[in-house]
Amino acid sequence: MSEELTDPELVSAFKAGDAEALGLLMERHKAAVFGYLLRLTGRRDAAEDLFQEVFLKLVKNPGAYNEREKFKAWLFTVARNAAMDLFRREGSRSEISLDGEGDKPGPADFLASAEPGPAEAFYGKALGERIGAALDSLSEDQREVFYLRHYSELSFKEIAEMLKVPIGTVLARMSRAAAQLRKKLTADLQ
Amino acid sequence: MNCGYGEKLILTLYGEAGESLKAEVEAHLAGCPVCRAEVAALRAAGSNLSARSEEPSPRAEANIMRAARAAVAGRRGFSFKWGEALLSGALASAMAFMFAFSGRGASTDLAWNSGLDERLDSVEYSVYQAQSDFNAPSRDWEYGYSELEDESFNAGKNV
Repeated sequence: MSEELTDPELVSAFKAGDAEALGLLMERHKAAVFGYLLRLTGRRDAAEDLFQEVFLKLVKNPGAYNEREKFKAWLFTVARNAAMDLFRREGSRSEISLDGEGDKPGPADFLASAEPGPAEAFYGKALGERIGAALDSLSEDQREVFYLRHYSELSFKEIAEMLKVPIGTVLARMSRAAAQLRKKLTADLQ
Repeated sequence: MNCGYGEKLILTLYGEAGESLKAEVEAHLAGCPVCRAEVAALRAAGSNLSARSEEPSPRAEANIMRAARAAVAGRRGFSFKWGEALLSGALASAMAFMFAFSGRGASTDLAWNSGLDERLDSVEYSVYQAQSDFNAPSRDWEYGYSELEDESFNAGKNV
């Protein structure tokens, strides 16, 4: 199976009975989808469950995806809906902190580079924590748009279609997110 | 401070601005420290998210692949049965079609000219022969028995 196949071609191959095509799709998108879910939920166990839920939806009902759609848009829509369902089941989304709860690590703990030296570890982690806190200070709408744009790399027009809001609303949320991040991070970035 | 370039800045930073808008924003950035700070903040946040590539556990991926292989195997079995059913239906339809439209029609000539009558006669004769053969040994035995009785009677007379 060629890795050069497009996403819709891989889905078609899976529909035709090639299970490994799904493996290639997952390999291609797992970091983005999982990263997005991890940021949204703030918990690795929840992100893992939702990640499986997203791909199992395609496994159980491959017809749910129409090859004429952009696969990434479909994938992130499913991921977002799965996360929203989780938030509804668990209560308010704002209870989830990027800094983690108690002894549990939050996404801010994953922000530092993989294996930094002692000084880099200190400053990198410090900056990572500041950035995590800055992202945490965004409103839910702002954070959602920021994470969607970062991980899905969909255009703002596609994100607007996904969220069913005008593109102006999406751009306004991003603009306000930029202003908020600037306020929180100005001292660190100077 | 609101310079009014917020959304234009976003479109430019994420590569979605046309050439003229991009040039306009770049010119604005040269004289707007607030917008430059926003660009720096967005880039810093994005870089930090990209710096660490989180991935799901191998167990989660294995679960998905196991389900995918099972689903594919299930679909294969299902379609094979459908294939068999369709083939059977097609064969039955073909046979019915040949029978109904073979061109002979329901003529009485069919029975006369087919040799069927002769074959039926032949079968009837065979049945008759079989019955004869079945009865023949019985007659022979009765005949033989009466001969033995006669011989015994004659022998008695001689003694």
